[in-house]
This record gives sequence, C-alpha cells and structure tokens, in this order.
Amino acid sequence: MPITPKIVIPAVLGLVIGVILVMTAVFLTKAVFSEPFQVFGMGAAPDQPIDFPHDVHVEKVGIECMFCHRTVDTGASAGIPAVEQCLFCHKDLGREQYILPESEELEKLREHFESEEPIQWNRVHRLPDHVQFLHEAHINKGINCSECHGDVGSMEVVGQVRDLKMGDCVDCHRENNAPTDCLTCHY
Amino acid sequence: MPVSRRQFLKIAGISSLGAVIFKACGFDAEENLVESPVNLPEDLVLGTDNWYASSSSLCGNGCGIIVRVFEGRAKKIEGNPNHPLNRGKLCVRCQAGVQHLYHPDRIAGPLRRSGPRGSGQYQSVTWETAEADLVQRLQGAQASRVVLATDPLRGRLAMVTKQFVEALGIRHASFESMERSTNLRAAMRQLFGQEQLPEFDLENTNFLLGFGADMLETWLSTVRYSRGYGEFRQGDHRDRGTFVHVDSRFSMTAANADKWVPVKPGMEGILALSMAYVIIREELGDKDAANAMTEGRGFEALAAFAPNVVEDMTGVSENDTIYLARRFAHEQPSLAVGGSSAGAHTNGLFNLAAIYSLNVLVGNVGKEGGLHFNPAPLSPGAGGSLPQSSFRDWQNIAGDMGNVEVLMVRNADPVHGLPEDLGFQEALTNVPYVVSFSSFMDDTTAQADLILPESTYLETWGDDVPDPGPGYEMVTFQQPAVAPFQDTRSFGDTLIAIAGRMGGTAATALPWASFKEAVQEGARELFALGRGNLTVEGSFEAFWSGLLQRGVWYDQGSRPNISVEPHPLPTEINSPVFQNAPHEEGMNLIVYQTNSMLDGRLAHLPWLQATPDPLTTVVWDTWVDISRQDAERLELKSNDIVEIRSQYGAIEAPVYVNRGTPPGIVSVPASQGYSAYGRYAENRGTNVMSILAPLTDPNTGALAYNATRVKVTKTDRRRTLPKFEGVVEALPAPTVELIQIANGKGDAH
Repeated sequence: MPITPKIVIPAVLGLVIGVILVMTAVFLTKAVFSEPFQVFGMGAAPDQPIDFPHDVHVEKVGIECMFCHRTVDTGASAGIPAVEQCLFCHKDLGREQYILPESEELEKLREHFESEEPIQWNRVHRLPDHVQFLHEAHINKGINCSECHGDVGSMEVVGQVRDLKMGDCVDCHRENNAPTDCLTCHY
Repeated sequence: MPVSRRQFLKIAGISSLGAVIFKACGFDAEENLVESPVNLPEDLVLGTDNWYASSSSLCGNGCGIIVRVFEGRAKKIEGNPNHPLNRGKLCVRCQAGVQHLYHPDRIAGPLRRSGPRGSGQYQSVTWETAEADLVQRLQGAQASRVVLATDPLRGRLAMVTKQFVEALGIRHASFESMERSTNLRAAMRQLFGQEQLPEFDLENTNFLLGFGADMLETWLSTVRYSRGYGEFRQGDHRDRGTFVHVDSRFSMTAANADKWVPVKPGMEGILALSMAYVIIREELGDKDAANAMTEGRGFEALAAFAPNVVEDMTGVSENDTIYLARRFAHEQPSLAVGGSSAGAHTNGLFNLAAIYSLNVLVGNVGKEGGLHFNPAPLSPGAGGSLPQSSFRDWQNIAGDMGNVEVLMVRNADPVHGLPEDLGFQEALTNVPYVVSFSSFMDDTTAQADLILPESTYLETWGDDVPDPGPGYEMVTFQQPAVAPFQDTRSFGDTLIAIAGRMGGTAATALPWASFKEAVQEGARELFALGRGNLTVEGSFEAFWSGLLQRGVWYDQGSRPNISVEPHPLPTEINSPVFQNAPHEEGMNLIVYQTNSMLDGRLAHLPWLQATPDPLTTVVWDTWVDISRQDAERLELKSNDIVEIRSQYGAIEAPVYVNRGTPPGIVSVPASQGYSAYGRYAENRGTNVMSILAPLTDPNTGALAYNATRVKVTKTDRRRTLPKFEGVVEALPAPTVELIQIANGKGDAH
C-alpha cells in the first residue's frame, strides 16, 4: 500500500492528539500528587548519599527524635543534623572505642567532616507549593512525630507514609479543632 | 514520507509546547536536596534568620548597621535603631554592602605576581608564603624607604597601624582622593581650637545656610544629616525650617533648598564675610562677638567685603546678600555649614573659616539648633591618632618615589585618585616592591607584586569612633556577621602576624594574638568606665556580649562644655587662584562625588552603578553637566561627546545639558574611569581626577580640586547616556502663579 497523504495525515494527527492526551494525563496526575512523580516505584523512599539506618538509631539505640532534629520545637523546620553532630557519638573513629570501625558508611561521614563538604540528602517529605508548615506549632501542641512521619523506628530507610496534601491537613485540623482558615497555612 | 513545511511546524510547535508544560509541572532535582552542614554553630538554625549589630566602614561615616544572616549568608543590611548617628536609617551605599561581600571579582586569596607588572598575571600562594615574602622584603629594606598608605584610619585599627609603623620605623600616609576634611579640620582648629569635626543640631535650627556642603548626598555624616533635615523640615513639634544653599553647582542638596544661590566658584568665603559686614553694620548679631571679631573696629574693618563692592566678584547681588544676612541673623536659631566645593579651592581654609565664623557672630555655637562640639576620643587608642596626610604630602611622596623600596597600600587607590601631573603612576612602576591589601583589583592593586587580600567589614572584628560624632562620646563595634567568604584575613590580623614574624620590637609593640583581642582591649576600657548606655556589674564577658548585641556604646552625659573665644575675621580679600586652560580663559571645572559611588571607591558595586544620579538620572557612565547658554555657544546637544582639556590632560564624555548649571561651569562626577576594579567598573566612563591641576591651599596643603579651568571642545561623536529621564513621559506640571507673601517686617525684598 503506497504511503499517501490520506494515511499520513490521520496518522500524524492521531499521534499528536495521543501525545497531548498523555501530557494532559501526566499534568493532571502531577497536579494531584504534586510531589516527586516517580513512574516506577511511586512513593518509594529515595536513595540517600549515606545509608543512614533510622531504625538502628531510634529502635536499637533509643535516641529521641529531638536529639538530632533539634529545632523541631523552636522553628519551622525540624532541622537536619550537622555532620559534627553525628560525630558527637561517632567521633572516636580510628581509635579503639569508636562505633562500628569497619563501616564504609561512617567512612563517608568522616570524609565529609574532613573535607568540610556538607552532605546533600534527598528530601523525603515535600509539601505542595504555596503552603507553610511549622513543626514548632504542631510539636508544642502535643502532636507526636509519628502522627505524620509514621513509625520511623521500624524503617531502615525513611519514606513518606502519609499523603501530606491539603485534604489530609484539613481533615486532621478538623479532628483536632485546629483552625481551618485559609491563612492558617497559605500566607 | 514527505512532510510539508506546515505539518513540520505544527508538530514542532506542539511538541515544544508540551515539553514546556511538562517541564513547568516538575521542579529541579536541586530543590529536592536538603543539606547537613558540617559544623553546628549555636546560632545556626535552618530556616531562621539572625540579625547581627555591627558598624559599616564602606564610606567612612561609621553608621551602625544590623545584618540579616540566613544560614550563614548575609542577606540584607539595615540601619541599627540603637545607633546615635543614623538611628535605624541607612543610605544607598550601605545597602549595597552585601554586593561588596559577594562580589564575583573579589580576590580569592593571596597572590604573587608571575608576569610583567600590570599584566594581571598572578599565581595564588598560601598566606604562609605571602607573609614570609613580605617579611623578607621588609627586613631587606631600609625602614625609612618603606611607605604604608592607608585610608584615614580610626579606632583600634588606627592604634594597631600606628604601633606597627612606629615599631618598624616606616613612613605612613593616609589617602583620600577628594579631601573632605583637611581644610575643614584646619578651620575648626583655627576658629575653635577643636581637633574633632563638629555636630550640627539640624533638628532644632530655624534657618539653615549651606555653603557647598552637599550634606544630603556625600558630605561627612550624610545619614545623620538627612535624618536631621527631615526633622528640620517636617518635625512634629516645630514649624518648617528654611534652607538656603550657596553652591556653584546645582546639587541634590541645592535642589532641596528653598533658595539656591549660585555663587561663583571659590567665592563662598567672600560672600560669608559680606554677610558678616551686613550683620555687624546693622547690629543684628551678638554685639560682643562682633566687637571681638573686628577687634573693636566695627563693620569698617570689613569694608573690603561690603556687598556692593563684592557683588561682581561673588555673583550674588547686593540685595540678595543683605536679605540673606538679615534672615540669618533674625531667624534664630540659625546655622551655617560649609564644606565640599567651598573648601576645594586655593582659599579653602579662608572660605570655611569665614563661613563658620557666621555661627559665632550670631551666637549659636553650643546653643540648641546651632553648632556643637564633639568630645575628644575616649583614649588615644580608641580614636584615630595617626596624622592625616594632605595632597601636599602626596606630592612629596610622588616626588620621592625613587627612594621608596616597598610601598604597601590598604584601602586606597592613589593611581586612580591622584592627578596625573604628579607622576605617581610612572613613579610607581619604578618602586621595586608594591604590596596591596585590597580585596579587589583596583588600579593600584593591578600594579602590585604581592596581594594580601583583606576581608570585608562584614567578616571581621573592628571598632570605630566616627568623626564627626553625635556630640557626645561614642564607640561603635563591628563584628563578623559571616565567616570569611574567601581566603582573606583582616588587615589588623595581617599586621599583627607580620609584626610577629619580624620579631623584636615589632612583636612586642603588637602583643595581641589577634585583632579581635585589640578590639576587646578597647571594650575593657569602656567596661571599666561604668557609664553610658550599657553598664554591667561584674563580668566583662556579660558586658562584651551586651556590647555586641547593641553594636554601639555611647554616653549622652558626656557632651563637652567648651566656650569659644571669637576669632578675628580677615580684613582682606583672599581670592581663589585658578589654573587656566591652555591658551584661554577656560570654563570652571567642578568635580564632585556622586550620591551612590562617592569618588569612585564604590564603583565596583553594580547596585550603585545602577542607582540613578538624583538630578540627571544618569546611570553606569560619566557625564558632563553644561549650562544651556554654553551649550548654545558651543553648539552642543545632550549626548554629544566633548573633549575637556586642562593643561594636564584631556578626557572625553557625553554632555548633559543641565538647566541647573550656571554659565561658565562644567561639572563632572569623579566616580568612574577605572582601568581595573572588577567587571562592573573597569573601562567605564572617564576619570576626571587625572586632568586636575595640582593646586593646593597653601595653608593646609589640601588639594584644590575645583581650581582647574578647562577648554571644552565638541567632537563629532555622540553616545547616548543611559538614563531614566525621558523614558516615561512626564506628567505636565500645573501652572502655578507665584505670589510674594509679605513677612510683615517690610525688610524682605
């Protein structure tokens, strides 16, 4: 069959319309989820530059969340601990009483400290645009970290467990008689 | 398969639109990163800003600042509300301080020259090596053949520098390209026996008479004056004051005045004495003072200055002079201030002394709304005790450059700021070793063999006793708001380190481990005084932390009580001397500092380059103000490039035909024309300082930078000046009928 404009034009048009439809679908999906959109393994915990096991630190060693996330009750952000803070405990690297001498991951940590190079973690929890969230207000109200972040003590790699979308926020605010005025979060 | 042009465009268009939409819905991978800082300072909280109280040394006024620091980066500079001089206000120059800190062309670390001098070829070295190099040179040179040139220093830095200079036995010279204070200081010494510059009570004055002093733009403590001026005009509990400004250039300060009196250049003092003649003749002022100032001879002593005699000389009519004198004497308290162009002539000291004598004549020295004195700095260490050099000293240095083995330059750019006639630029090429402490490759640093870059004021410790101060004792403190952004050190620390390496007397003269210790030593003296805005019982640590929170120490109870003996007025006319243009009576060249970049020392900051001149709205360029009459005579239109030629050289710049410029005058800002100084300043505009005649006031040695006459010639080229004026059509001004309101006394004309 010869390739004539009669065939080509509908084919091209179909292709274009198809592409537009796919894009619209992607656009809408992203708008709904408005978070890192991973086609494969959506919602999976992101890889991190250092394999930091939350479960060991929380469950086995029994460190309080606030020991590392030190501004959670005073600031908007919970705070990512400084490299120096890791070394509060791991500082004796290279001596006899250090913790886990053979760990390659701790070797990476020491390299960061010695080269004065900050660690760039991948963000796990990302709120939609145009919304403000204060950790301080929630913690001081008595909301547990695990309400939103799940049982971190059981996670080797932390992933997101709750939706953390507007519907989710508003539901929780209603249950707890917290303000649901627009300007509570959108300011 | 053939695809038609139309189909191809459709497909391409749709797919790129799709790509844009698709991309816009996502975000950068970088945005998804969250950082663990390496160190954990107490005051670093992610997402929370800190404000640090400090002091600005960008333009030398010593205003107090507070710096907003967010995660270790300085974001914004505001005025310190606690600071007696600026009380929370700040000028455009200080606001640009963050660009000084994060400038892309800052010198990143010590450099040693590797190519021919001036080629810009440098290799980076460690501080260790650089300091060892300098120490070796200093030890190898005869001390009297070593020169350290700095900006005028104050506070503990002046003390450390002084001890360094004295211990090594080397020479020191301070450099200011357009000397603001030499003649003014001499006038204060002559009239009042004061070493400190005075404070003006603008808030409470009724009649303000300015002579040349562009106090709302660049003259001395501009933020303090602007704040006072606001009160003077619109204060809550007072009537609006009257402001008359006498100047040969229509400056922004002149534009703010109720009346601008265009005086002929250099005749300000003669006009002031002419006013004094009227005040004494009509017995308007303090009669005892008038008697003392004329040594009992009365107004006859000033006969040479009678308004009708000097009106042709000053360009101010007899009636205007009498009117001004009467208002100045009647509307008490009144205040006369003079500076800038009034002092920039060969009779600069005569002019300023005459102007400030008017204050004595009407008895407003030390009175509310008048002129007040500043106390001496608390201790020799806290105040600047290094002698200030004049232009004449620099003439001597330039003439003696053949005998200089090592020249060290800190925060000064004599290659840009000295007239070319001095030959400093050529002489510099023969100096065996030139060291610069500058953080920027300015015109002098570009000639350096060794660069030991200095940290900016936002990264270092320091203190300052501003001059002029607020009328009472005050010390401001400077603390590092951020860690050094580059591999730089503070000048004080470098001096201490070099002295330590030199050993012997130098090491004992500078015993501190760091410059911070020297600053703390000054703070301990204040702590021991136990008075002022901050008193702490017991520990110095508590006092120190309170001091850093406030950024300033002052004691309002320490106003000096000084009585003034009236000083006799001159009886003979002292006319300014001008250097004529080649072969003709030229036009008067008036050089001035711009509101944003001053004499050019801030030309490296793009925000300031882009700040429009308040009157012409020109940005990013040098322009020549010329009157309409002269433009007509020379057939010039705005944007025509002219050549301005003095006996010492020529520059070229586009013309701005300015309705405010008096005939016979061309004025050119001295803020551009660098051949280096970073990407925003280099090869931009022209440097008017280079063609100035090396004339000085013979009494003080200060450069008479407005004493050059030039020939203006049209070239056949044009360059459109970048400016805001004319970009948007101006609203038509309403026609208002002017009516004269009689003041009831019948003495107004």
